[in-house]
Amino acid sequence: MLGVGAGLLYGWVVNPVKYVDTTPAKLRSDYQADYILMVAEAYQSEGDLDLAARRLAVLGDSPPAEIVRQAMILAAQIPYADSDQELLSQLASALQTWSPSLGGAQP
Amino acid sequence: MREERGHWYLLTGFVIGIVLGLVYSWLISPRQYQDTSPASLLPEFKDQYRAMIAAAFVATGNLPRAEARLALLGDSEVERALTEQAQRTLGEGNAPLEAQALGLLVVALGQGDVGSLPTLVPQATNAESQSTNSPQTDISNPTTTETNPEPTSQDFSATPSFPSSDQTPQVMGTVLSTATPLPTRTPTVTPGSPFVLQSNTFVCDPNLPNPLIQVIAKDSSGEPLPGQEILTTWDGGEDNYFTGLKPELGLGYADFLMTPGIVYQVQMAGGGQTVPDITPAECETQGGGRYWGSWLLVFSRP
Repeated sequence: MLGVGAGLLYGWVVNPVKYVDTTPAKLRSDYQADYILMVAEAYQSEGDLDLAARRLAVLGDSPPAEIVRQAMILAAQIPYADSDQELLSQLASALQTWSPSLGGAQP
Repeated sequence: MREERGHWYLLTGFVIGIVLGLVYSWLISPRQYQDTSPASLLPEFKDQYRAMIAAAFVATGNLPRAEARLALLGDSEVERALTEQAQRTLGEGNAPLEAQALGLLVVALGQGDVGSLPTLVPQATNAESQSTNSPQTDISNPTTTETNPEPTSQDFSATPSFPSSDQTPQVMGTVLSTATPLPTRTPTVTPGSPFVLQSNTFVCDPNLPNPLIQVIAKDSSGEPLPGQEILTTWDGGEDNYFTGLKPELGLGYADFLMTPGIVYQVQMAGGGQTVPDITPAECETQGGGRYWGSWLLVFSRP
């Protein structure tokens, strides 16, 4: 038992497995929020909601609007600059009317 | 004898226990990392992250923020990584705007005198580096401006500190107002008068043994223009590429490798003068050796 404990301590704490090939969904929340801010910045210029949704899709299976909403919560906690929070808000609003099945905004 | 064997059993059991523990902690149930950094992303996701940084840069023109984001990826040679990705993307041919955005970012990185510009990123990161794992609280208190003008990748390794506090707009405003003007932010062909051919020269350069179409794009004042799309067509094919993706050869420079025996037409995208009948031709050295020459086309806006 002592050996097992030492092995677990070493393998989990002292020298845990290093992940070098991860996905964006595994990023720390503030990195994810910044990625979402990048999407919002690009969306402000490009106006392509489908593209923004595709870019957000790498962050997980949640609906894009929910992904942005989570980022907005974190952005308010950090806090991000007002202008950055506004960008996130605009993207979130636009995604509220976006439907993946139609691939575009609904009227 | 029995007591000594008992000690050996204990040691053996300890070693077996360690092995079992390691097998369990490394293979069966390794520690799950939910909080990784962009530097740990798979290469394909790093490419996507880079493309996203470039797209955001094109949208905002915020070079210090783009630099800070790029530093998070941990590339040893940032501009090289961007350039290679831009060329790969161009080669794949399905995202020319993405390639152009990457190219514009490369050019801006080459142009930007960011080292002398104020930026809050290193300050915020220094605060972060003294902390443990809660960047949110640390980066909310960046003291501003002009220290640490040459941030290293190590400075940025721990945190995305750019989208930090309410002080960001003022700082970035200063940066943008004093920085070298950035190339166009528009990921499309720069509007303006159509390009006209300024010169068309056949170049014999032994250092360029491959037959190239070399294009230089300039504005009306003679300054090189990065991010300009060039269309090259030939019988049964066409290709497009952009100036500025080889900044070491000039911001307005682009080239295209010709195939002997094919006749090409070259035009700057967005209309303007077409240069017909560009085809590889040979040059001769003083010793009688032969090699391919290149065509140097200089386009400028009137």
